[in-house]
Amino acid sequence: MKVLAIAWKDLRSTVRNVPALVMMLVAPLALASLLGFAFGGSESFEIAATKVAVATEDQGSPASPTVAGCMVAGILESPDLKDVLRATRVKDAAATRKAVDDGDAAVAVIVPADFSQVVYGDDPTATAQVELYENPTSEVGGSIVEGVVGQVLADFNGARAAAAGAVAVRSDDGGDPPAAQVAAAAAEAFSHDGGVASVLDIAQRSPKVGKTENEVSVTGAILSGMMVFFMFFGAANVARTILTEDRDGTMPRLFTTPTRHGTIIGGKFVSVFVTVLLQAVVLLIAGRLIFGIDWGRIDAVVLLTLVAAGVAGGLALLIIAFAKTPAQAGAIGSGIYLVLALLGGNFTGTAQTSGTYAVVQKLTPNGWLIQGWDTAMRGGGAVDVRWQVLVPLGFAVAFFFFAVLRMRRRFA
Amino acid sequence: MSIVEVQELRKQYDPPKGVLAVDGVSFDIAEGEIFSLLGPNGAGKSTTISMLSCLLKPTGGDAMVGGNSIVHQAQAVKETIGVVPQDIALYPDMSARENLTFWGRMYGLSGDALKKRVEEVLELITLIDRQKDRVDKFSGGMKRRVNIGVALLHKPKVLYLDEPTVGIDPQSRRSILDGILALRAQGMTILYTTHYMAVAQELSDRIGIVDNGKMIALGSHEELVRIVGQQSRVTARVDHYLEGMAERWREVPGVEKVDIEEDEAVLLTDDANEVLPRLFEAAAAAGSRITEINVREPNLEMVFLHLTGRALRE
Repeated sequence: MKVLAIAWKDLRSTVRNVPALVMMLVAPLALASLLGFAFGGSESFEIAATKVAVATEDQGSPASPTVAGCMVAGILESPDLKDVLRATRVKDAAATRKAVDDGDAAVAVIVPADFSQVVYGDDPTATAQVELYENPTSEVGGSIVEGVVGQVLADFNGARAAAAGAVAVRSDDGGDPPAAQVAAAAAEAFSHDGGVASVLDIAQRSPKVGKTENEVSVTGAILSGMMVFFMFFGAANVARTILTEDRDGTMPRLFTTPTRHGTIIGGKFVSVFVTVLLQAVVLLIAGRLIFGIDWGRIDAVVLLTLVAAGVAGGLALLIIAFAKTPAQAGAIGSGIYLVLALLGGNFTGTAQTSGTYAVVQKLTPNGWLIQGWDTAMRGGGAVDVRWQVLVPLGFAVAFFFFAVLRMRRRFA
Repeated sequence: MSIVEVQELRKQYDPPKGVLAVDGVSFDIAEGEIFSLLGPNGAGKSTTISMLSCLLKPTGGDAMVGGNSIVHQAQAVKETIGVVPQDIALYPDMSARENLTFWGRMYGLSGDALKKRVEEVLELITLIDRQKDRVDKFSGGMKRRVNIGVALLHKPKVLYLDEPTVGIDPQSRRSILDGILALRAQGMTILYTTHYMAVAQELSDRIGIVDNGKMIALGSHEELVRIVGQQSRVTARVDHYLEGMAERWREVPGVEKVDIEEDEAVLLTDDANEVLPRLFEAAAAAGSRITEINVREPNLEMVFLHLTGRALRE
C-alpha cells in the first residue's frame, strides 16, 4: 500500500505539472498532425528495396536447352532492378516461404517444376503458375515483384502466342507466310478468345497467420513513432523526481520514516511505469478519436503498450540511477533518447527498412516496437508481434535489473 | 531514565583521509527533557542528528534510542523518532493536508486513524484554515510549521529538530519555540540543534556544546556558565588617561579585576548593578568622563569563547 501511496503521489504531481503534460501528450499529437499533414495524400511510403527470395524448381524441357524458370529468376536479379529489389536464390519453395515467414524476405517467388515444359511445350491446354508468397505488410514491394514477374510471364505468353500463330498460319498455307499474317495470327492467339494467352499466370498467396487487409496511414505510422519517443520523456520526467527529491530533502526524509528503502524506491518505479502507461493509453485513444487511427487487434495493442511502458520506464530509471543531478539526468537522457529515436526509426514514420539501417534499427528497443506497431496496425495479432514484444521486453528487464542494482547501492 | 544514549559516535566521510565530522561524541538525554546541541556551522550537529535518524551509518560508536541501536535496529528506531530537518522537506505542489496525509501513510498510519491524526496536527500547527492550500503558497513560517507537523503525526517518543527556526521572522520563531515548550510539557523528549545561543539558553534543560566534531562541554545552562565564573564583564571607555582611571577603579568595592584591552578598560564584578554607580563616581572624582560603558552577563557565548578562543557566530 505504501508503494501505491508513493506512486499515487507522483502521478498526482505529474497531472498537476502542465509543462510535463504538454510534453507527454500534446507534443506527440501535434507533431503527428504536422508531419501527417506534410506527408498527406500518400497512403503510405516505402523507401527501401524489397527483399525477394527466389526458388526455381523448373526441371527444364527437352524442347529447349534454356530453363525458362532461370530466366525469371535472372530478371529478378538484374542489376537494373537493384534499387527496388534484392533477390536471393533459395534452394526450394519451402525455404522461400520460410524466408517470408521469418521476416528475412518480403516476397517469395516460386517457379514451378513444369514451367519450361509449359513454355516450350506444344500442349495448348497446359498452364503453369508462378507463385508469389507475400508478407502482407509489404504492399509496395509485393506490387513491384508482381509487376516484374507479370511482365516476364506476359512476354513468355506473347512469345508463345506468336509462335502458335506462326505455326497455325504456316500449317494453313504450307509455306512461309507474310510477317503481318503471322503477327495477326499471333495477336489472335494472344487474345483471350485465342485460348493461348494465359498459360503462364501468377498465384498470389500470403502467410495464413496474419493475413492483413489494413493499410497503415501516414499519421498512424508517425504517431506510433512519436508515441514511443515521447514515452521516453514521459518516463524520464517522473523518474527524475528521485533525484529532485534527493536534492530537496523529501527523499532523505522518507528514509527517516519506518518505510523501508525498497518500498520507497519500489514506489518510484511503479509511479514511472504507471504514468508512462497512462500516457500511452491517452495517446492511443487520442489517435483513434482525433485521427481515426485503427491501432489494430486488442491483444497486440495491449502487449505492445505494456512493453513500451516497460522499456521507457526501465531506461529512464537506469539513467537516473547513474546521474548525479536532475539537470545531468535531463541532458544525458535527452541525448540517449534522440540517438535511439534516430536509430530506431521513430522519425521516419516507416517500419520498412533494409540494409544496414534495418540491422541498426534492430539494435534498439524502439525499433522493434515501431515494427510491432506497424504489424499491429496492419491487422497482426499477438502471435505476429511476438518478437516485437519479446525483444523489447528483454531490453526492459535488463534496464530494470541494472537500475535496481545501482539504486540499492546508492540509497542503501 | 535516559531515552537516548549516545556512545562515542563517530563519522568520517570517505575514510581514511576524509573529513572527520563527528569525533567521539557521547551524551544522554533523559525522558521528557529538551537537550540542545549548540555549536557553530560545521560543528557536526546535523551529522550527529543524521546518524541518530539512521540516515547515515556511523563510522564508529553507537547510540540507543528508546532501547534500540541505531546501527543494528534502525527500523525500530525510526518508529520511535520524529525528525524535523533543517530545510523544508515537503511537497510544494501538494496542500498542507495532502502532505500530512502522505507522510502519515509513510509513518504507517491509515484509514480513520490517519484522518483523525491529520486533523489534530493541523490544529496543533494552527493551519486548519489553510489546510487545502498548496504549500508553495505558504510563508516561510507556515512551511516550518507544516515541516514540524509532519514529524508529530505518529506521536514519536523522541523528536529531533535540526535548526528549525533558521531564516524565519521573530514572530514565527517565537511561535515555534512556544510549540516546542508545549510539547515538552506533554512529556515529549526533544533533541534540538542550533547555533543560536539565546534559543539554547531559553529552551533547554541541558546543553551540549560541540565544535569541530567534538563535545567540548555538557550540562545545564547554570553548570556551563560556571565554567567562566558568574562574574559580569563591564567594558568602559573614558575621555582621557585610561590607565589612571583603571587604577582608581581597582579600588572600587565590588570590582574584582581590571584589565586594559586596547582603548577600553575591562572589569569583572559579581554585581554590575551595584558597581556601575561607583564607577561613574570614581570617574567624576578624577575629572574624567565615561564615554562608553557596556555590561555583559555570563552566557554561553562567553563559555564558547572561553573553551575555543573563538566566538560562537550568531
